[in-house]
Amino acid sequence: MVRSYIPKSYGEALDILSKGDLTIMAGGTDLMVKKRNRAGLLPSFQKDVLFLSGIKELSYINKENSSVRIGSMTTLEEILYSKQIPSLLREAAAIMASPGIRHTATLGGNIGNASPAGDTLPVLYLYNAMIIIESKRQTREVPIEEFITGPGRTTFGPGELIKEIVLEEAKFNVLYYKKIGGRKTDAISKVSFAAGAFARNGIVEDIRMAFGAVSPRVARDRGIEDSIKGTPAAGILDLAEEIRNGYGNIINPIDDQRSNAKYRKKCCMNMIDDFLGKVFAEQ
Amino acid sequence: MSDISKSIPKSDSAGKIAGETIYIGDMVLDDMLHAMTLRSVHAKARIKSIRLPEMPEGYFIVDHRDIPGDNCVNIIFDDMPVFADGKVNYIGEPILLAAGPKRKKVKEIIDSIEVEYEPSEPVFGYSKSVVHHEFEKGDAASVFCKAERIIKGSYSTGYQEHIYMEPQGVIGLYEDNKTTVIGSMQCPYYIKNAVVRTLGTGQENVRVIQAATGGAFGGKEEFPSLMGCQAAVAANKTGKPIKLIYERTEDIETTTKRHPSRIDFEAAAGEDGSIEALRVRVFLDSGAYIGLSGVVLQRAMIAASGVYTISNLSVSGDVYETNTVPNGAFRGFGAPQMFFAIEMFIHHFAIETGQDPLALRKRHLASMGDPTSTGGTFRDPIIMGDMIQKAIDMSGYDEKIAEYSKPGDHRGIGMSWVLHGCGFTGSGEQKHIKAVVRLRKEKDDMVTILAANTEMGQGAMTTLRKIAAGVLGIPIEKVIYNNPDTDLVPDSGPTVASRTVMIVGGLIARAARQLKEKWVPGKEILVEERYRQPDYIEWDEDKLRGDAYPAYSWGVNVVEVEVSPVTYEVDLKGIWAVYDIGKAIDERIIIGQAEGGLSQGISYGMTEVMECREGRIQQRNMTDYIIPTAGDCIPMEIVIMDNPYPLGPYGAKGAGELPLVGGAPAVALAIENAIGKRIDRIPATPEYIMELMENG
Amino acid sequence: MAEIRFILNGAETVVNEDPTMRLLDVLRDLMGLTGAKEGCGEGECGACSVLVDHDIVNSCIMPLGNAAGRDIMTIEEFSKTERYNVISRAYEDAGAVQCGFCIPGMIIATESLLNKNPHPSEIEIRDGLSGNLCRCTGYNMIVKAIQLAAERGDGLW
Repeated sequence: MVRSYIPKSYGEALDILSKGDLTIMAGGTDLMVKKRNRAGLLPSFQKDVLFLSGIKELSYINKENSSVRIGSMTTLEEILYSKQIPSLLREAAAIMASPGIRHTATLGGNIGNASPAGDTLPVLYLYNAMIIIESKRQTREVPIEEFITGPGRTTFGPGELIKEIVLEEAKFNVLYYKKIGGRKTDAISKVSFAAGAFARNGIVEDIRMAFGAVSPRVARDRGIEDSIKGTPAAGILDLAEEIRNGYGNIINPIDDQRSNAKYRKKCCMNMIDDFLGKVFAEQ
Repeated sequence: MSDISKSIPKSDSAGKIAGETIYIGDMVLDDMLHAMTLRSVHAKARIKSIRLPEMPEGYFIVDHRDIPGDNCVNIIFDDMPVFADGKVNYIGEPILLAAGPKRKKVKEIIDSIEVEYEPSEPVFGYSKSVVHHEFEKGDAASVFCKAERIIKGSYSTGYQEHIYMEPQGVIGLYEDNKTTVIGSMQCPYYIKNAVVRTLGTGQENVRVIQAATGGAFGGKEEFPSLMGCQAAVAANKTGKPIKLIYERTEDIETTTKRHPSRIDFEAAAGEDGSIEALRVRVFLDSGAYIGLSGVVLQRAMIAASGVYTISNLSVSGDVYETNTVPNGAFRGFGAPQMFFAIEMFIHHFAIETGQDPLALRKRHLASMGDPTSTGGTFRDPIIMGDMIQKAIDMSGYDEKIAEYSKPGDHRGIGMSWVLHGCGFTGSGEQKHIKAVVRLRKEKDDMVTILAANTEMGQGAMTTLRKIAAGVLGIPIEKVIYNNPDTDLVPDSGPTVASRTVMIVGGLIARAARQLKEKWVPGKEILVEERYRQPDYIEWDEDKLRGDAYPAYSWGVNVVEVEVSPVTYEVDLKGIWAVYDIGKAIDERIIIGQAEGGLSQGISYGMTEVMECREGRIQQRNMTDYIIPTAGDCIPMEIVIMDNPYPLGPYGAKGAGELPLVGGAPAVALAIENAIGKRIDRIPATPEYIMELMENG
Repeated sequence: MAEIRFILNGAETVVNEDPTMRLLDVLRDLMGLTGAKEGCGEGECGACSVLVDHDIVNSCIMPLGNAAGRDIMTIEEFSKTERYNVISRAYEDAGAVQCGFCIPGMIIATESLLNKNPHPSEIEIRDGLSGNLCRCTGYNMIVKAIQLAAERGDGLW
């Protein structure tokens, strides 16, 4: 039988974590489904479980200078209603799930879960999110791209916990977010796409694009982004084919019970065009 | 007296809102055992051996050896066993039950059973016909011989899963030589007859009681007989109450669904552009056991010419057995597949022959006195002309279709015309069902309706009480309708086929008239009525010839959409419908049926994807099998016509299935209009729309 | 096993159970509160909805451990309130109830929504219901019921 720990403080949680290999339960909205057994039966946890929901210290949204710091146990509902949070992330939280899920699911959980279809992830990539990870011994900061290494895989070390997520301020005047699911709300993504650009005096100064659910990790290519920066917005449509080809190489969607690879890829290409069209229109 | 259609509060709402209504899963009985099912993991195999673990005290295994009577679920064809005996024919087929006081232990027992299989080659696709029907009207063969131009079309439809919100469940009990089954169900007497046969016992030894039923849509027509028999056998063996409640994933994977189909047409075009002859071929996938598939096939075939009069018709159809989960009843019962196909085909025929589809459809639209597809007669007034005009006016169809047909416009509008034969096909009522209802007046002048029909959300309780109270001229509060218990109510037939109000309600109205004549205050009176087939009905069950239904309900559905050229997703923009169901017994209940049914029909046409690969259902939970949320649905404008049917109570005809039938073709035609590409299968998913838009 | 304390329907409650136990099982099996239903067991359908700190939550995927220190209200308690009276009457009058299996969850969703937003727009209502599936109605009558409740219960929220 697995043991459960329900710490009241963050320090206590780190203490418990330092002593063993535990399953970390945040909101539980994904974990409880994964470990589901049958009605009336305990979920099938193999490892001891650490419950974090009692730790109020990890629930906050603070704006500091040029960044927003979000406590890992902040719920999607809190994100949705916070004016300090970038609108794309709020939009992602709104479309991602129903109110019942939003009230319990946490940002830290969505990251720790590392699902390729995690709906907040493309937006976090876009804002160069840093994941602040702590153990009793150390604190480290890892860019989200490095933290998530594959489906359900992260660089979590023993005794570590996500403490907070730091979003870097970004200046965009074109924002784009689309989630394609089996229905309009409350569905797992077939594809999601977050993008932002900043064009000034007809020049694309910044542009970022991130795709969810179409490769083992969120797909963002800074090389492609850099190659666009500095070009005139008026000429951006001429680059479309090159950009599409570039992403075409890193996007490798699959066929599954929710959609197929061809559709997923085609939608990504269309969304690139659609987004670039909006950047073009911004000039 | 006020108009019967004026809505009143539903009898069953208050308890449901408060969470006080007890569904089968909420019931806890003393000494109750929980049962779980061991299921086949192969699509086709011989069972070589089953190794059971050592059973702890108080835990039981129940399998085919415990069946005292026939190991066969009594439906129509005797092909489905209660428990597999030596062989399995689909993934998920029940082999045995394990039961005991603790669910955890029962699960461990199920998990530790070792079954040794010898798999063999399963059958999939349309290759092994097990039921065949055909019928002719006029002389299609000679028209085709001389035809100058023949237009063809082939259409296919996918599975649809009911997703009644309450998963299937029953409790079986055995006390004093009597077996009782309580459960979520549509047809208490189907279960009773099945349990009597499986137990090999007398009618007096079996009792079936309906629990509050959390949605059914046909999914709780024949399927609960299987669970009822299993729970009954287990209760008899153990002497204890047996609770068998399905998990959602188990329910999705192993209970009946709407039959996937393929329907092929060939039409001979006359010189004037009309359809002179139509040849139709229907393929239905029954899954591993035939069950009701033969009857579903008949309803599909009878609808082969849709709402149109076509003089020469040749229709044939087959049910194909496959090693997949058995398919069965689902709201519409074969008609949704056919109406999707015929509505698309007549549209495609018009386009290929260079005609305005609407004009062609109007030209062929059936009118009163016309022969039906099976050579019967449409005897009652058909007011489709008015209904179509109303739908066109409400929706702005004419202007929109012109505008949306321009290239590059991704908006679309589609209109479907449907009918639905009310009640059982042919002489089913007279020959097989033989419905009986009773009304019992007590000394306090309260009247109880004694009938076996079930409330499953559709409003039967309220509607039937309204009919009785209306005829008797007493307040509705004086009329009682309880969930049926076969020990207390006669067999008024199953709650299926849009028959409850028209047939059973009709009997209740007759019984109420009888009671009214005999009424003496303060005295106990019992009256009874039995179904009598209208004299004019003549039906040849073997040749499918004559009047297939006593009456027809009619519908016009219009759906407007916008398709995203970026993601190929479909946005619903408008929904309008006009229905002729004779007379609404309660307008709000009918609007509820209309909106719910049409919503199911539209998502059947565009959203609900279920695939079976190598015998395994791929979408096995509610995350993967998508039904609409409130955010996917939009307001609808629904008009209910008044066109009373002389033999229905207050003029009522069937209403439950009709609204579903036209949803898929309306949305498919709208998508077709939006993208300018021909749609020939449903669901018309974004993936499919992409293929069409990109590849032409 | 652990002692978990929370408020259940207004009463201080202590449960000595495995903290991974689903809140839904705690309510239905231990407490006999069967108003919350299991429709899917994976947070999709909302039939199991309860109020946690007055927000709607899917109790089928909430572990007991996460309930520690929270204020949990089920339909059994909510149905004693004035707000419930307004909502339930609106559901009846709008004809929003068919099979009823989703309805206790819908009522919880309605309360959670109106508590935050006493006069929601139609879009906000549809979003508020997006985690509560109904297969019978096509939702329009439920949306209508919530509009009615918001109108009639003006000032209650």
